[in-house]
Amino acid sequence: MVVRQYNEEIKYLEKINPYCWRIKKGFQPNMNVEGVFYVNSTLEKLMLEELRNCCRPGMSGGFLPGVKQIANVAALPGIVGRSVGLPDVHSGYGFAIGNMAAFDMDDPKSIVSPGGVGFDINCGVRLLRTNLHEKDVLPIKEQLAQSLFDHIPVGVGSKGIIPMNARDLEEALEMGMDWSLREGYVWAEDKEHCEEYGRMLNADPSKVSLRAKKRGLPQLGTLGAGNHYAEIQVVDEIFDKYAAGKMGIESIGQVCVMIHSGSRGFGHQVATDALVQMEKAMKRDNIETNDRQLACARIKSVEGQDYLKAMSAAANFAWVNRSSMTFLTRQAFAKQFKMAPDDLDMHVIYDVSHNIAKVEEHVVDGKLKTLLVHRKGSTRAFPPNHPLIPVDYQLTGQPVLIGGTMGTCSYVLTGTHQGMTETFGSTCHGAGRALSRAKSRRNIDYKEVLNKLETMGISIRVASPKLVMEEAPESYKNVTDVVDTCHAAGISKKTVKLRPIAVIKG
Amino acid sequence: MDEELGGISEEYYDIPPVKYEYLDHTADVQLHAWGDSLKEAFEQCGMAMFGYMTELEYVQIKDVHTIEASADDLMGLLYHFLDELLFLFSYEPFLICKKLVITEFNTQEFKIVCRCYGEEFVIGKHPQGTEVKAITYSAMQIIDDPKDNKYEVFVIIDI
Repeated sequence: MVVRQYNEEIKYLEKINPYCWRIKKGFQPNMNVEGVFYVNSTLEKLMLEELRNCCRPGMSGGFLPGVKQIANVAALPGIVGRSVGLPDVHSGYGFAIGNMAAFDMDDPKSIVSPGGVGFDINCGVRLLRTNLHEKDVLPIKEQLAQSLFDHIPVGVGSKGIIPMNARDLEEALEMGMDWSLREGYVWAEDKEHCEEYGRMLNADPSKVSLRAKKRGLPQLGTLGAGNHYAEIQVVDEIFDKYAAGKMGIESIGQVCVMIHSGSRGFGHQVATDALVQMEKAMKRDNIETNDRQLACARIKSVEGQDYLKAMSAAANFAWVNRSSMTFLTRQAFAKQFKMAPDDLDMHVIYDVSHNIAKVEEHVVDGKLKTLLVHRKGSTRAFPPNHPLIPVDYQLTGQPVLIGGTMGTCSYVLTGTHQGMTETFGSTCHGAGRALSRAKSRRNIDYKEVLNKLETMGISIRVASPKLVMEEAPESYKNVTDVVDTCHAAGISKKTVKLRPIAVIKG
Repeated sequence: MDEELGGISEEYYDIPPVKYEYLDHTADVQLHAWGDSLKEAFEQCGMAMFGYMTELEYVQIKDVHTIEASADDLMGLLYHFLDELLFLFSYEPFLICKKLVITEFNTQEFKIVCRCYGEEFVIGKHPQGTEVKAITYSAMQIIDDPKDNKYEVFVIIDI
């Protein structure tokens, strides 16, 4: 609830440098640590306007501006460091989207919150490279887009085409990408280039409800809808030749494929089920928060542990999902070019999660601590020499894949040491919405959007025309702004810029 | 199917008027539904959700299924009611509903029994709209005001 006038509220916010603001304690009740958010001048205006709008008399509760949500998260028990808002931050459920919060695992009061992970558990991005060049693809671009659209199930009501039964699902939930490898859907080296090697070891399918499994089974291997997509992209700009080279990106015009998808209805059900359990646990354990939607449980409690095990199973589901689509993408390309995916060098550059909670070691006040890091709409960005990143990226840092919005551009960044200190190795995830979906549907004409994409030379295959308006770039913040801010703030480094030439959406 | 379609009389093919709309929300959508009773507002809310997933004019009534929902309070009841409808769509029978009739609406013990009329969702026959990922409690409001004859619900769904 916003209770003060804007002029009063703004006193709690302080601009530290051109890219960073701090949120002082007292902005919201019970803050244990300060908040911080990264913005440039354009994004700053949006943040403050959101706050200003909510301070006007007559505004009802329920909708909280991003800054307030960051502050509410800072009030959660066991939080250390700061509650961080990345440049793409915007209002969400309890936690803002684009919010990172870490909790000390050694503090018995520390909590875990499904809202800090997001409903779409392990929504993430995978980037494949090829040895094709734009000129190789242009003559058959339409056929290739159609082929991808035909191979990958998309949109409302779509069902997976890779045969699976309940037993397969149980195994997939437990084994993650190891299941995909066993079944022959991925190459062994794909696992190397995936966070957690594509499998969270503490996954426990028995902690997942039957309902979640039922929702998940038909959807395994589907792209989904909303802001999920598969894109054929070309390298538009290389900012860091050495780092790009390590990723196998050698030249402008090189063709890549980006897949943005998550755990579908499965992850949503796991999150929903957990929220119900935790609401009860909060009453029992006397946990108070500033917002009903910050439902949480002590990490060490039964509810907390059960959620983490179920969340890991959902994370595994998403990795199997992206792996299945990797397989289908390789098939689609292989058929069109009449070459094996191997000969097309269709390797996974990396696979990142931007809705997940991880147990990680970080230095807090000079001491090494084990933290539960919640990243909701935020991507891990580990620096060079970090033990958890693959050998080939040891000198460059972890690749960070930032998906742009439909028809704009995407970026590959790398993690930095500064990011490791300031944000526990976290950076943005994408563009973040600016316009509501209803407003987009009313103000933007879908034919206009499609025409615009056509003039830019982008082939589009979309299951739902209405989605085209909701997903139009005008509905989102500018991804370049977001990425430039991360770069300027030093929390991640621009490496490659990619431009789409074909888009497949649900 | 858990009932013979032959047992339904003509009047069940009447589709009620639309008493819902979609409201602005940054990343998702807020369903606003109303009616001449709270029961009707709930039914309309369910239809609002299905209306976002496809275009209802393409949906026929070929099947009927019954769902049950229960909770500890009224908001929980609305939440679980919508969640059951979502599940009806996401798993067998993959039902997209044309009409909802709540046959039991108990606001003392918080229990709903609802007959759901529609058919199996078929890509190609039914336009693909927007996928509903989850129901949320965010900004949920239930207005139950017999004095002013105001019965409205507001629910944000995650899409």
